[in-house]
Amino acid sequence: MFLEIKDLHINLGEFFLQGVSFDVERGDYLSIIGPTGAGKTILLESIIGFWTPDKGRIIVEGQDLTNEWPEKRRIGIVYQDYALFPHFTVFQNIAYGLKKIEKTGIEKKTRAMAASLHIEHLLHRKPGTLSGGEQQRVALARALVVNPRLLLMDEPFSALDQQTRKQARQILKNALKERGTTVIHITHDLDDAWALANKIAVMKDGKLIQYGTMEEVFHQPATRFIADFVGANILDGCVLQSLDGSCVVNVNGTGLTCRGEARVGQKVKIAIRPENVRVVKNPPPQNFSRNILETTLTSITSEGNICLLHLKSRETFIKVLVTHNALEMHSLKTGDSLYALIGRDTARIALGS
Amino acid sequence: MGIYALQRIDFFRLVFILISQAVTLILVLAIGSLLLVPEFKDVWQNLWSEEMIFSLKLSLITGFISTLLVMVFALPIGYTLSRFHFFGKGFVKTIIDLPVAFPELVLGLCLLLLFGNSFFGRWLESMGINFVFTKQGVVAAQFFTALPYAARIMKSTFDYIDPRMEFVSRSLGYSRFQSFLNVSIPLAKNGILASTVISFARCIGTFGTVLILAGGSYMKTEVLPITLYLNISYGNMGMALTSGIVLMVVSFAAIYVFEKAEANL
Repeated sequence: MFLEIKDLHINLGEFFLQGVSFDVERGDYLSIIGPTGAGKTILLESIIGFWTPDKGRIIVEGQDLTNEWPEKRRIGIVYQDYALFPHFTVFQNIAYGLKKIEKTGIEKKTRAMAASLHIEHLLHRKPGTLSGGEQQRVALARALVVNPRLLLMDEPFSALDQQTRKQARQILKNALKERGTTVIHITHDLDDAWALANKIAVMKDGKLIQYGTMEEVFHQPATRFIADFVGANILDGCVLQSLDGSCVVNVNGTGLTCRGEARVGQKVKIAIRPENVRVVKNPPPQNFSRNILETTLTSITSEGNICLLHLKSRETFIKVLVTHNALEMHSLKTGDSLYALIGRDTARIALGS
Repeated sequence: MGIYALQRIDFFRLVFILISQAVTLILVLAIGSLLLVPEFKDVWQNLWSEEMIFSLKLSLITGFISTLLVMVFALPIGYTLSRFHFFGKGFVKTIIDLPVAFPELVLGLCLLLLFGNSFFGRWLESMGINFVFTKQGVVAAQFFTALPYAARIMKSTFDYIDPRMEFVSRSLGYSRFQSFLNVSIPLAKNGILASTVISFARCIGTFGTVLILAGGSYMKTEVLPITLYLNISYGNMGMALTSGIVLMVVSFAAIYVFEKAEANL
């Protein structure tokens, strides 16, 4: 295992960690999500060595780094506000780490790094004169040029506008692809996680409450909090029939077939991603292969490029993502009767209760 | 039109500006009187007197040494108070700040008792260091008077520097001390300059502490404020005014150098 975090405890008063444990494999891109004050930044700063844990171990490539000095760990960090050295030029910022480890070829490597992040024209400038996106790339270049074995990023895109953020994601993706760097990335934006990560961890109140692949966390959230955080629908129901790897669950009088295992009679929660629900106005045929919920459209909210439909079926509430185009094409409006179609593979038993 | 204009008078702003201007005027008059009262010829003669040359020389030498020592200690103290959490931090901060509020005479008395006939004083004397009624005493008095001001400025300076820049420097392979030298010190240069100038001005102007610890001995521990005091006591107004003018010129020069240097940073 590349990185092992074992039962990490740290108490800094306002911020704390309580028994955080997880493993990261080489080349993984782990996104950590969670509300403000969940302990995400402390976790990163503990991994890099700025805080000494009260308890627990941090092991990288089999080497126990728990009490190692930060400068000996070979772990890079990019902060939300980039923490560029304002008294240095962009060139000096990028070359700073190289000067410590190399005697020759500093200029060549610095320029090559700058070129790969498209900032070679900024090398003579001071950080204060750069835009947010440019500063972010300089910070990334400064961290990557020394070839860290692990890169930690604390909301590096949060200060960027939507368009710059998209570009920044692509640039980051390309830069990491070339190097195969293992990354831990704190974000509030689930789009960052979708675009970049292969694993995701959810933190709350200093604890790690779910850790897994994107698929697991987004489709099978472990708690209602996580479901809300990742925007999944959660429906309560009772198992009517248990088949091989799937169940039929009674959700307020409607039988829904979903993936997962549970005992007959067991109360469960079903997680459904809003983007995995289709809506139609006309009743689908009787032998239709998807789950069908008869619903009423109670409201429509705009979420930037897309719309969220809020549907009600008896006492069940469900959110559905559609494009503005689809909304116009089907002239959907509040009060419409709609059929929500949910694939049997996309409805998952998330939590047994 | 006139009524509307009257309604727009901001009395709050007006009163505050008047208070600021009135106090400035009184200060300008006070400083001006120091320059207007004496005869220029007398000032020139006094300036080249043996006593004044001794006093000025001693003030500048002790002032430079004390300022250097103050900065050597204020930098780590300011950094410690800004960055580190440790047992007794509040106590350390209070004690280091105390001389700011302490009357100089009381501080001088405390130092006299410590460096005088105490165990610590006798131990220092056995090492060949004697602060009581000596020139070293002038440096010690100036040091302890100016240190709190410098330490406070340095603490505020480091408070404004994001500690994450040092974190980043360390993540790039530099030790804590190297990060302090490469990142924190260059970013603190304005604070260091301000702190140095204020320390120098405080050192040059320290009177009460010097008088009690180093004594106001004619041509021995006589720094400019002591010259002013001794000559007022003898009724020699010419010398007293001259030392006052020299002190003022040194203070203005320090501020001028500070502003010039700050503009170039």
